[in-house]
Amino acid sequence: MAIEPAAIFIIDMAAIFSIYAIINLSLNLEFGYGGIPNFGKVLAVGAGAFVIASLPGRIIAQIAGIEGDYIRENLTVVAQVNAWLLDNPVPGFAIFAVGVAIAALVGGALGVATSYPALRLRGDYLAITLLAFGESIRIIGNNFPPLVGGTLGVQVPDPLSFVPDELRFPTASLVLIIMVVMVYIYCEKTIRSPLGRSLRAMRDNEMAAESLGKDVGRVRMKTIMVASAIAAIAGALYAVYVGSTIAIAYDRASWTFWPFLMILIGGLANNKGVLVGTLLFVALRKTIIFFKDSFEGFVPFDVVWLDLLLLGGILLAVLLFRPQGVIVEKPTHTLGRPPTAKGIKRVFNLLFR
Amino acid sequence: MINPVFFDAAVFASLLVLLSLGLTLTYLTTKVPNFAHASFATLGVYMTLVASRVWEVNPYLALPVAFLLSGVVAVALYTFILKPLAKRGATDAIQMIATLAFDMVLIAGLNILADYLTETFRVKSREFTLRSFDLEFMDLPMIVTVAPIAVAIIGIALFLMLKKTKFGIAVRASTENPDLSGTVGINVNAVYTIAWMIAGGLAGVAGALMALWFLGDPNLGPLLIPSIFAASIAGGFTNIFGAVAGGLLVGLAEVLGTRFLAGELGSWLIAYRPLIPLIIIAVTLMFAPRGITGVNWSKIRSKIWR
Repeated sequence: MAIEPAAIFIIDMAAIFSIYAIINLSLNLEFGYGGIPNFGKVLAVGAGAFVIASLPGRIIAQIAGIEGDYIRENLTVVAQVNAWLLDNPVPGFAIFAVGVAIAALVGGALGVATSYPALRLRGDYLAITLLAFGESIRIIGNNFPPLVGGTLGVQVPDPLSFVPDELRFPTASLVLIIMVVMVYIYCEKTIRSPLGRSLRAMRDNEMAAESLGKDVGRVRMKTIMVASAIAAIAGALYAVYVGSTIAIAYDRASWTFWPFLMILIGGLANNKGVLVGTLLFVALRKTIIFFKDSFEGFVPFDVVWLDLLLLGGILLAVLLFRPQGVIVEKPTHTLGRPPTAKGIKRVFNLLFR
Repeated sequence: MINPVFFDAAVFASLLVLLSLGLTLTYLTTKVPNFAHASFATLGVYMTLVASRVWEVNPYLALPVAFLLSGVVAVALYTFILKPLAKRGATDAIQMIATLAFDMVLIAGLNILADYLTETFRVKSREFTLRSFDLEFMDLPMIVTVAPIAVAIIGIALFLMLKKTKFGIAVRASTENPDLSGTVGINVNAVYTIAWMIAGGLAGVAGALMALWFLGDPNLGPLLIPSIFAASIAGGFTNIFGAVAGGLLVGLAEVLGTRFLAGELGSWLIAYRPLIPLIIIAVTLMFAPRGITGVNWSKIRSKIWR
């Protein structure tokens, strides 16, 4: 059974959308609701990818008794690991689930490290420091081969090896979409909780929040920790989805700047807006890449740059002309009235209005 | 024969001084770090490429063109993007993202220009070197002497301008307190626009000079920006003269520091050179957030000497 090109297009788009949606939801928690300009988002995403690229494969190689250096003989080792995964799908899946959990832990730990400057610096200085933090992950990954193979990168074993080839990508996309739904529900629940309200209070008027007894430092730390853990999960899922990891792919533009672009287009502090912004962005990029060949010959340059030009231009236009984004932030959700009060009000309305 | 690493150090440090001078100047006016600053320099790099390969003239003739072009682009960023955003009361973070978006547009433009140059004039426009187009001066490549001298002249001129002329006083007044300066009759907007022109222009000149020594590429900006920020932050970010000190410090630390450590510990260390500006940023912000010029040196000296 072969899959139509159009179906492949949509399946791939769903996967990329899901990964970015998870990152953007976490960034929205930090920046949209909490006002923390995390310009080092790539740090957590990259950490997650590095963990999943270096850990589960090695563990399985140990269990299955596969010989060979994991980095130097990466291709042959990963091929054998995949063969083992084909025979042992359930333990394989469990090992990868543990890997994703470890990625989340590492991401959370890095988030705590990130919050050290975030508690002490404000605004622009914080942004520059976080940007510097984020830069470092690529440089270290690129120059320290035992992690993810340095400049050559590594293959990531595929926990979906047992799925028939033509169903592999649809299955992966399905898993990713389930993850997005879970993260979305988590984020919605969080912003409706007391923590969510403290976050907005902290963003809008830190001093007032402090004077009402909110521990702003603690809220900030918690937020960055949770958001980084979520972003690390997304990074890990991305590495598994594409099946390889190379350090230079974890650059500032793809994993810090584009997420900011998407949440700003969709509307800050608004999880639905985040999904809309992500969808718009991913669809636009995929379409440009999809129709890339038809442009060739008309313009004397590589069409990839048109895509950057357009995206940068769109973001500037949104910032200048529609700063609230496509969907506007709603007022804080309050607790619903108890059912009896609702009923009484309905009766009241029925009788006197 | 002088070790070429000293040439690297001299050219790179001069370049960083020029770039961090400009970045500091724009930060003083709008109070927003401009992430597109390094790409103004990349524009200068391409001006030198065009001058030497397409027009086939003396590459130093690219300097005034680069100054004008980068200056105009910088003014466009200020006038059409940052000023309207600031007027509307957008937060620092939003304005920083706007400069990042502008940078993205610039980089796309530069890449298109590079493709166009290759298509039309059959010129190598990525990872190109123009060292062979440089002139010779005292048996050395001219850039090695021109870059530090140009930086010294520009630094002194800027110093005199800020301290001795009426315009310089207007600049200092309107960065200190824009509202008050406005009420005493200074056209704050004009002052800021000229400051952006100068800052962008200096970046263009830096890029045009750099093209004669380092590899040129459309995507240089993101590689350079951490070094420029490190230099400006080490210099205090609000002090023009601190920027000179910071540029020298970061430039020399990056080139000579890496070389020295690599000699001591092994050549694997060279690849980690990009971490140096990041460490400088982190250390400065944690321990001396007002930069080298903000540290009370006389107090430290009296403590040590007693």
